[in-house]
Amino acid sequence: MITLIFFLVVAVALLALLLVLDPRTEGAEGSARALLQARDALHTLQLDLLALNLVQNIFSPNDWKYVSANAPVEIQNLFMEERRKIALDWVGEIRLQLICLQHFHRRHARHFVNLKISTELALAFDFALLRLQCRALALLLRLRGPYATPYIAGKTIAAAIRVCAISGQSFAFLAPATSPIADHSAGNGAAA
Amino acid sequence: MNPSSRHEHVRAASRDLRLRTLSQYPNPLGRLIYLASLRDYNSGLYYHDGLASRFSEEAACEALADSHREAYRELLSSSLEDIVAQLEGYMLSTGRDSYEFLSAWKSLRPYQVAIPAETNPLAAEFLFSNLKIALAILESRSRTSPRVEPAASQPLPLAR
Repeated sequence: MITLIFFLVVAVALLALLLVLDPRTEGAEGSARALLQARDALHTLQLDLLALNLVQNIFSPNDWKYVSANAPVEIQNLFMEERRKIALDWVGEIRLQLICLQHFHRRHARHFVNLKISTELALAFDFALLRLQCRALALLLRLRGPYATPYIAGKTIAAAIRVCAISGQSFAFLAPATSPIADHSAGNGAAA
Repeated sequence: MNPSSRHEHVRAASRDLRLRTLSQYPNPLGRLIYLASLRDYNSGLYYHDGLASRFSEEAACEALADSHREAYRELLSSSLEDIVAQLEGYMLSTGRDSYEFLSAWKSLRPYQVAIPAETNPLAAEFLFSNLKIALAILESRSRTSPRVEPAASQPLPLAR
C-alpha cells in the first residue's frame, strides 16, 4: 500500500513538472501575447533606454562639472542623489526588459522563427552575462555613484545593444507592420 | 485625402506653425509649455484656431503634436547648464517675480503635465529631475543676488 502511494505521489509530481516545463501550456494566445510583449520590450530598449542621447546625458560627467562649479554643496548632494536614482532606475528598467526578452526566447521564439541552435545558445549566454553585468553595475552605482563606473556602464550598454540586435532577428517577420509610415500615422493619432 | 497629400498638409501646417508662432519662443522649454497649453486634457487633442482655419483641424492637431514631441526631444537632450539657462529665460519672459515663479514651479511642478503623451517614463523622470535641480540652482542664485522685479512694473527702456 505504501509503495502504491509513493508511486502515485511520484507520478503526480512528474505530471506537475511536465505541465510547468511544457512551453505549449500557454497556448497560441499566450505565445502571441509574449511575442507582442517581447517586441515592445525590444522597442523600449532600442528606441528609449539605449538611445544615445539619454544614455550620454545620464552618464556624462559634464552636468556634474557644471553643478560642482556653480552650485552650493546641498545642491551638489541633491544632484548626486537624483542622478544615482535615475541611473539605478535605468539599469533596473534595462534588466526588466531583458527578462521579458529572455522569457520570450526561452519559451516562445521557436514558434515564430528558426534561429540557429548556436545563435540561441550564444543569445542565452549573452542574456545571462548581461543580467549579471546589470546587477554589478547597480551595485557599483549604489556604492560609488553614477560617475564612478564608466567602463562597466559602457560595457553593459554595448552588450545590451548587441543582444538587442541579435534578438531583433526574431521579429524581422513583423517588419511590414512596423514600417515608418505605419508608425508615423499611429504615433500622431495616439498622441493627438 | 490620400496619405501623401495628408502628410504634405501636415508638413505645411508645421512649417507655418514654426514661422508664425514658435519663432516667438526661442528655447525648447518655452515651446514645450506653450504647446502643452494647446492640448485639451480631456481628449489629448491639440487646438489652434488660426492654424486650423488655414489648414484643417486634423492637420493642425498633428502639426502641434509633432512640434510638441520635437520640443520635448530637444529639451531632453539639453545639458543641465542649458536647461538652467532655458528656465531662467522662460522665467524672465513671464514677467513674474522670480521668487513667486520659483515657488509656484516647485510646488505645482507644471512641467509634469507639459510633456507629450506616450513618452518613455524613465526619460520623463530624467527631465523632471533636471528641472528640479535647475529650479534649485535658480533659487540659490536668487537668494544671493538682488531680487528681480516683475517686468510689468519695470520702467520702459529709454528710447534712443
